[in-house]
Amino acid sequence: MNDKKTLGEMLTERGVSRRTFLKYASYTASIMALPPTAATAIAQGIANARRQSVIWLSFQECTGCTESITRAHTPSIEDLIFDFISLDYHHTLQNASGHAAEEARMQAMQENAGEYIVVVDGSVPLKDDGIYSTIAGITNLQMLEETVKDAFAVISVGSCATFGGIPGANPNPTGAVPITDIVTDKPVINISGCPPIPEAMTGTISYLLSFGSIPELDHLNRPKAFFGEAIHDRCYRRPFYERGMFAKSFDDEGARQGWCLFEVGCKGPVTYNACATLKWNGGTSFPIQSGHGCLGCSEPGFWDLGGFYKPLSTAKGDPLKWAGGAAVAGAAVGAASAIMARNKRNKILKEGK
Amino acid sequence: MSRGNGTNCLDDQVTGMALSVLAEVGRMLETLADSGREDAIDLRSLPLTDADRAELEQMLGRGEVRAELDLAGESEVWETNYPGAWWIRHRGAERKIASEEIAVCRIPEILKTHPVDIETAALRIRNELETTHE
Repeated sequence: MNDKKTLGEMLTERGVSRRTFLKYASYTASIMALPPTAATAIAQGIANARRQSVIWLSFQECTGCTESITRAHTPSIEDLIFDFISLDYHHTLQNASGHAAEEARMQAMQENAGEYIVVVDGSVPLKDDGIYSTIAGITNLQMLEETVKDAFAVISVGSCATFGGIPGANPNPTGAVPITDIVTDKPVINISGCPPIPEAMTGTISYLLSFGSIPELDHLNRPKAFFGEAIHDRCYRRPFYERGMFAKSFDDEGARQGWCLFEVGCKGPVTYNACATLKWNGGTSFPIQSGHGCLGCSEPGFWDLGGFYKPLSTAKGDPLKWAGGAAVAGAAVGAASAIMARNKRNKILKEGK
Repeated sequence: MSRGNGTNCLDDQVTGMALSVLAEVGRMLETLADSGREDAIDLRSLPLTDADRAELEQMLGRGEVRAELDLAGESEVWETNYPGAWWIRHRGAERKIASEEIAVCRIPEILKTHPVDIETAALRIRNELETTHE
């Protein structure tokens, strides 16, 4: 779709006021950790932008990422993103199928050359010439290379597209690789998670629309706004960690009292994501709040990093590497009570070795 | 101190954060008075417990102005008991809070009518009158 009208003009015709833009902008500024005063600039940026063409490619994936971004709820401010983008190609959501679907992709690429965004969920199989996953008679690799050629930017969503995910887990029978292994000449933004938090996906697209540039990324190409802090840093159970108060099992007194889940396998100290602040299901809860440790799903290779229920110190891999992450995170507080927790953790590490 | 699912939480505990935010609002009001510079605090970015939030709301109180906005979900804006400090609460899906901030300004931007909307309103009335005359 190549509409020449700005989003402001389009939505004004539909009776959407600029106040609504401003409300959306306040919401976006909040989830992107931008100053509230940036809302006016964001609103203006979106109003002046044209509807953003988005081509969504699904490769070796489970559709969980699509489920996350389209989670059904009442029409609200969070849904406005779907007025701001033109989803020109998406296997699960588009009406067209077969040749018509592929024509829609080609048309979007031609009409928006250099401006469209490619969203990819799923990893790409490379083994045996990529034969393990094909769409419309071509391999995922061919489709990806063909589609990103004239794209403005690529957004990899979900753990499969960002780090290989389940398809890439040992023994990786299809030779699955993340998008960054293939696309090296375009900006690639990674929104990891299994699935990713919907606000992380929509917020990133809104940022691109508002500012026409890529948000600040971490060393794994993830927007710092969502992946800048460890789950542990923002966890409401953190005070128990600092006091050395840990649940030993999921049904003991510590678990009932809401103590830290470090010893039952929580990967919060080494997992960077916004679950503890944005939460899930419209801000209802997140795994730790529901009594289960963080699985670390937004980190590379999380399927192969040891058992979900083993403490970090005993999980497969280098325990000291894991501990380093926890120690760095813990250093931020520096309270006297932290010494107790560190001693406790060191004891666990020692035993783990 | 306990959730319905049996797990404990800290949401019911007052941590003292509300007092810090109040002090920050005070500094922002001084700046607004001295230089006219507006500012805002994103409450969602702060590690406030539910109890902290309630305490802050109580500390700031409610002043003379209150507005309800109906745009892509409900929004509430009210001037606190400290003129120039406004509490802005935007609700999203299922009335959950989508964003919440304290704006320190003469009047929040969201309450002003945008020039484009004024132009559109004028055009609508003109079209309405033309249709009536036909």
